[in-house]
This record gives sequence, C-alpha cells and structure tokens, in this order.
Amino acid sequence: MAVAVDGALAGSVGLGYPSNVTDFPKRARPTGVSNELRDSLMAASKAPVTIGFLFSTTGVTSVIETAQRNAALLAFEEINAQGGLLGREVRLAGEDTGSDPARFRSEANRLLSEERVDALFGCYMSSTRKAVLPAVEASRSMLFYPTHYEGFEYAQGCIYSGAAPNQNARWLADYMTETYGARYFFIGSNYVFPYELNRIMRDLLSNRDADVVDEVYIPLDPSDDDIDRAIQRIRDKGPVIVFSTIVGTGAVKFFRAYDRAGFDRTTAPIGSVTIGEPEMQAMGKEAAIGHVKAAPYFSVIRSKANTRFVAAYRDRFGPDMPLCAESEAAYFQVKLFAEAVRRVETTDRDTLLRILPTFSYEAPQGPVRVDEITHHTSLWPRVAVVGDSGEFEIVREAPAAVAPAPYLVELDDPVDFSVGSLKRSEIV
Amino acid sequence: MARVRLKDLRGLNAAVVHPSDTDGKVIVEQLNRIGCRTSLIWPPEKSVPAGMDVIFAGVFFDSSEELKAMLRKADKPGPTIIGVVDYENPAMLELLLDIEAHSATSKPVSSFGMLTTLVVAREAWRRDSEAQTRIARLEKKLTGQKVIFKAKSILMDMHRMSELDAHKTLRQQAMAKRTSIEEMAQAIINASELLSAKPRDV
Repeated sequence: MAVAVDGALAGSVGLGYPSNVTDFPKRARPTGVSNELRDSLMAASKAPVTIGFLFSTTGVTSVIETAQRNAALLAFEEINAQGGLLGREVRLAGEDTGSDPARFRSEANRLLSEERVDALFGCYMSSTRKAVLPAVEASRSMLFYPTHYEGFEYAQGCIYSGAAPNQNARWLADYMTETYGARYFFIGSNYVFPYELNRIMRDLLSNRDADVVDEVYIPLDPSDDDIDRAIQRIRDKGPVIVFSTIVGTGAVKFFRAYDRAGFDRTTAPIGSVTIGEPEMQAMGKEAAIGHVKAAPYFSVIRSKANTRFVAAYRDRFGPDMPLCAESEAAYFQVKLFAEAVRRVETTDRDTLLRILPTFSYEAPQGPVRVDEITHHTSLWPRVAVVGDSGEFEIVREAPAAVAPAPYLVELDDPVDFSVGSLKRSEIV
Repeated sequence: MARVRLKDLRGLNAAVVHPSDTDGKVIVEQLNRIGCRTSLIWPPEKSVPAGMDVIFAGVFFDSSEELKAMLRKADKPGPTIIGVVDYENPAMLELLLDIEAHSATSKPVSSFGMLTTLVVAREAWRRDSEAQTRIARLEKKLTGQKVIFKAKSILMDMHRMSELDAHKTLRQQAMAKRTSIEEMAQAIINASELLSAKPRDV
C-alpha cells in the first residue's frame, strides 16, 4: 500500500503520483521511458487537458454553487501547481449558469462543442443535472456531479460524488428520532429532490414510530408571504420538529423566519441534509444555532487531510469563506479525475471509467472510492448540530465508509448493501 | 374485439399535455408522422377534450394535481394514457401510477421508440377496456343470479315447491308480465319483504 505523505503538494514531488491514493488492487506503474521524455513527447502531440465548470454565481443556489466552484478551482490550481496533466497545464473553461436548467444545458453544449472539454464538473439541483446529461452522453464525455441528491439515477458518463439517501437521510432519521421526538413537519422547495427525499424520510420516520403531521412545498424563489404562511402553518400544528428540503436563498429566508418566530431549537430544531456552512453564514449565527445536518463532510472534521484542505482553502479564498460537504465533494472529484488521468495517461472516457473504481482517494472526509456498478461513491456519513458558537459539532460518525445504494427503495430493508465499502485495514 | 390494428393508429386523436419545449415538440412531430391528429396542450385543462383517443401526459411534481384532475374528467371509455417522465425515482413513479398510465416514455424523448410505446399502450388500453366491459357484464349477471336464487327460495318456502317448480313459476310469471326473469325475481323479493314486515319494523 502506498504511504500517505502529507505535504506532497508543496511541489517537491512534481509530476509524481500524489500520495493520498490507495490501490485496489495495486497496479504496476508504466516504466521504461523517462518522465521528461514522455512529457515532452506528449506536450508536442496533445492538446492540453481541458476541464469545464458548471457552477452558478447568480440565481437562487449561487451561494452553495460558488462554494463548490471555489473548492473545484482550488483542486484545479493544485493540479497545475503539481505540473498539470499529461505533461501540460490543465485548461479551465465555464461561465456562470445562473441556477437555471436551460442555461446549464446551453453552457454544457458550448463547453463540449466549442471548448472541447474532456470532462465537466458541477451542477447542484437535480433539474440542472438532468438538463446537462443528454449532452454529456451524446458526446461521450463525463460529468462529475458533486451534490447529494435523491438517488434513482445512473448515467454511464456521470460520477456521483455526493451522498445518496442511504448515506445521509437514514442517519438523520436515526439521530432526530432518538434525540428530539416523534412529530415531524416537512417543508421543501417545489422540485424533484424534496418530493423524493420526503418520500424516503416518511418511510424512515414511520419505521421509527414517528409521524409526519404535514408536508408543505414553497416555490424555489419564495416570497416573504410564502415564508410567513409556512411559519404560521408550523405554528398551527403545535410542537413539531421540522425536516427541511428547502434549497438556496429560500432556506436562508426560512431559517431566519423560524428564528424570529421564536421556536425553541433545543426541542424543535430544523433537520436537513442540505443546509450547511455557506447558507449558515448567509443567514447569520443566531438563525443557525440548533440546526441538525447529516452529510459526509463538515469543515470541523479533525484529520490531516482535512486540516490541509481547510488551510489551503482559507489561504486561497480568505479566512471567512465557508466550506461544506458539497464543496468538499467538488474538490475531491477534480482530484479523482486527475488521478485517473495520470494513471491511464489519456482522457478517453471508457478508459477513465475502468480505472476510477480501482483506487481510493484520501479525501478530507476520509478515503473515498467510486463504485464500479453505480458510479456513486463510498462516503463517510456523519451527523452534526450547530452549537452556540455557530459552528457544527459532530455528534455521530460512521465507523467505516458506507457504500452508495442509489436504487434502494426501502432504506431500512435489511438487505446487505455494504458490499464494496472500505474497510479501515485497506487504507493507509 | 381483436387486438389493436396498426392501421388504426392513423387518424387517432392525440393530445400532448406538455410544455412546448424540445421534448413536447418531438412528441407532436413524431405523432404527426405516425398519422395521428395531434395537438399540444399546456398547462393541463379542466377536462380531457371530447373524442380524445390518446394522451401523452408530461408528469411533473408541480403540476401533478392539475393533470390528475384533467385526466379524471374524460368521456367513457377514457383515453389511452402515456406518461412522459424525466426522473425514475419512486415519488415520480407513484405519480405515474396515480394517473393510471397504460405505458410511459422517458426524457429526453426520441422519435425512435414512440410508435412502440403507442402500440403497447393502445393494446394495454384495449385489453383493459374490454376487460372492464366484460367485468361489468359478469357483475350484472352475478347479481341477477343471487336475486333469482333468493326469489326461488321464497317461492319454495311459501308454496312448498321444488326448486325446479319454483324456477318454472318464476319463468312463467316473467313471460306473462313481459319482463326479465331477474326483474320478476326482484319483484317477488320486494313483495315478500313488504308482506312479512311487522309493525315494529316500520
């Protein structure tokens, strides 16, 4: 097994293989040609590897997508600082996608046809991913999707590096029912993710003897009236615990309104799998305290890989720029792509898809690996609660990486889906 | 009724209940090629237009209630319903079952495959309608048999006659009154209940 050497990014390793990688199984390295010779040959014959970003810096989900873009950008810069890919600096393309599926579609088309990108990275809402995938498949390219979503999808060229519901919702249901109580109020944005996640959550809660007393959907870009009506409806239901699938600016408004309405969040908190550090910064500390989130990553994780990641990120974007699960996934998936390209020395999609599931990468959350069958990723489920300091405090942690199960209809089904999950012993 | 004939697809009245985007247009164009009289409807209307044979229904979470309400209001027998979906998760599939689709097609829609979907859906619809008609006929017959049996036992009880004689009596009475044997039987039951009623039952 390779030995982890932190600090490899300092530059001394040059074009060498990054150290935070474990082979499954160990493969022979290509030998025989010196690095210098190989690199100069490649530089002469090949166009630079180009990656395309699909992130919105305007629109309803711009806060979270900007955080994702920053993290992906950091990974891109680190790769170039290490000497790039295939002997040349990696090129980056991608304009603002405005949180709008139609703009995601046209930007993906532009990146694939005009910029000739080798792979796309990004998308937050499922509706934007759906808009992009047909173009990705048509040009036999790849999309690395860095966001947790509702599951039930497989596209050959898509690598899903965010959590599937078995890697977040199930953990949230356990923690919430054990800690707070049995009466739940569902509120979500009006699009596909909240409907399916609520269906899943309803099952999970019902299996834990909890009730869902109401289920409400508000527009993606809600007015103050929409928010006020929702708050009133919660009040009318008596003591409840809120499960929120509101995304973007709507969530910031909702959390603030919930705080102003004076609900006691030690007994009636809001639980979610969506709202993390960037939204919390936007809503302010007071509105965030008591919030419960399940996700594979929190910026407060104590590990060498995360300490390095957080320091590099703050150094690049400033000490106040928030980091969250979605941005960590956006970061490590660019690194996963780069590692795969280094190993096979090509950006050919089929070759990359074959190599990706064969190694694990030491991500800030812990070692992750792409699953060969589902193209989703083995991740480390965690639950955290926002303390009085306004920071997440991790209250529960999976003992090992959990394999993705994106097609699991009943999450409490006792069927063993841990096949392929990482064992501690396999990781250095 | 024989199974669906491919030539019957030409001239079907089809409605595509879907926004006028790429997918909606591809469906309309392909149905026109197949030879259906096709119109695009969006948003869902209050009811299915009269004489509509086939509906391609875009299934969306934010318009599912309107779609369900529209499809509920249709002349009998209802149209053949084909759902058009862009997600394959259980919440979406439940919506598809809610609208009682005979078949479904997924997005991005391609013109290839639509004829197959249409044929399979049309045949499923035909079998379903035929089965419904048959079930209605059998249910009516079964109810009739129950009534006849009850009327016969009243006659057998009252006149101490055999089942065969009771049956003959019933048939003769029906013929004399120029009515069906089921109606005659019902009349006997009604009369018997009226005559055996005691004051305290009223």
